[in-house]
Amino acid sequence: MRRTAPLRGLLVAVGVALLAEPALAHVGGLSGTADSTIPTWLTIGTGGVIIGASFLFTSLLTDHEGIRMVNGWHLHATVPESLRTTVTWAGRGLGVAVLALVVASGLFGPNRSSPGIFSAEESFAIMVVWVGWWAGYIMSVYLVGNTWPLLNPFRALAALVPRIRDRAFPERLGAWPAVGGLLALVWIEVVSPVASAPRVLAATILGYTAVTLVGAATYGAATWFDRVDPIARALRLYGRMAPIQRTGDGIALTLPTTALVDHRLREEPGATAFVVALLWVTTYDGLVATPAWEAAMTPLLDAAGGATVPILGDDASYLLALLVYVVAILAGFVLFYYAYRYAARKARDTAGSYVEADYIARYFAPALLPIAAGYHIAHFLGYLIRLSPALLGALPYPLSVPPDPTVLTVPGWFGTLQVLLVLLGHVLAIWVAHSRSFDLFPGIFKPIRSQYAVTVAMIFYTMASLWVVIQPFGAPPGV
Amino acid sequence: MSTIPDPDIDVPFDETPAADCPYCGRPFDTERARDLHVGRAHEAEATEREIVAYDEATEAERDELFFYHVKVVVALGVIYSVLVIVYMAALGSGFL
Repeated sequence: MRRTAPLRGLLVAVGVALLAEPALAHVGGLSGTADSTIPTWLTIGTGGVIIGASFLFTSLLTDHEGIRMVNGWHLHATVPESLRTTVTWAGRGLGVAVLALVVASGLFGPNRSSPGIFSAEESFAIMVVWVGWWAGYIMSVYLVGNTWPLLNPFRALAALVPRIRDRAFPERLGAWPAVGGLLALVWIEVVSPVASAPRVLAATILGYTAVTLVGAATYGAATWFDRVDPIARALRLYGRMAPIQRTGDGIALTLPTTALVDHRLREEPGATAFVVALLWVTTYDGLVATPAWEAAMTPLLDAAGGATVPILGDDASYLLALLVYVVAILAGFVLFYYAYRYAARKARDTAGSYVEADYIARYFAPALLPIAAGYHIAHFLGYLIRLSPALLGALPYPLSVPPDPTVLTVPGWFGTLQVLLVLLGHVLAIWVAHSRSFDLFPGIFKPIRSQYAVTVAMIFYTMASLWVVIQPFGAPPGV
Repeated sequence: MSTIPDPDIDVPFDETPAADCPYCGRPFDTERARDLHVGRAHEAEATEREIVAYDEATEAERDELFFYHVKVVVALGVIYSVLVIVYMAALGSGFL
């Protein structure tokens, strides 16, 4: 795309800061809700009311045995060890092959410096990573089951690398490196053209691979993927929501989200923080795509536009944009984290319990996962459907331009579907929390009372996320 | 799924719990809470008296629960009606 805007500062600011291409590629909202007869405030308000009403409704369900039966229902199948090993190696081999193709496509396939006009749909790398993996595959993890251990190419590569050091993982760090890793990855995804520039994508993947291999060589592959790698951890958590669960000797089919009811987070520092971070980054991804964010950012960047930073010689507004995005992702995370811990303290008070607030926070954290999944699917289902023909069209052409990539138009009622998915995530979260509360607090009233604070928080959170999801994604100015 | 055996406890220094579980030592703010806990979490080891106390506590809760549920159903009914009316107004006359 040819640009005529004179100020390089404004240009770069727009290109980088306002999530321009990266987040546009991840359509967070609906492109102008088709049915606008219902005012926005009413949609948002209804969402909040529905969450409150679902809490009231679940408080009618107090039969411990009934709840346990529903949550405990499952079908079990044993998987012989040999079959598991074969499938794992085949899967990881496939993963490595796809990874190699993606990197090759990113480096040598169509990209922004190719002749002619480049569109992201032409790149095998971008389609496979963002439409196939980030949208589609992650959906399959929480909708069907966590297959990442079977497919993880980084795990396969780490097995090839010898241990260079025998460092033990410092326990006091717990999950915090994974939290940092997750925030860093999402920040990179927002501020860099990693979703629209194949070479940048390939470089990022290579960087991530390098970090992973060094980490696995230092701390051991099992420890690295179990404790530090944010992707493995996130997918493991998402997988606990899915109907297909891995058991000691095979697999089990359960009702969706019921496997979460039993799941206990490992007792390590930062375990709760990681779940909160997972929620926050899905919200952040959508938030930076809103026109409101753009309206807030533009004057700030305009003020710095044109100036250069001494010594570095770089655009002040570009660096300022990077800084703002870092501050925003960290500030939002801290806000969410302390809000959740505050809710846990309040739960302790309203339930009249002596259980430690930290323990309560960690105990109920798995109930938050359906919320993250609800946002993820609300944000990306339309994106996935729209670009699925482009993905399929690009698959046979990793290194060259596929013929005429097509996109589907998403029907007008999709907006409503997205709202419903966000609500569904919250309702499932309330069910999981409700079920779990009976095992921690005695009787029936204490468990119900323990949920008041979190329900209030969820009502506000729902309304905020609905506000994000139903906004039309703004086109970046000057483009 | 079973009752959590050993949650981390934090009793503020200026409070004294009303009752403690005789089996696991977990503190509670009311005796009824303790009775409910013992009857469920320590069902196997509970004495006759504790089982009776548990049954009484469960009964008492069940009675309170009935009134609580009535209030919840009324609240749900009111919410539903208000929502219907608001939507009628918003979609019908468009003045909202």
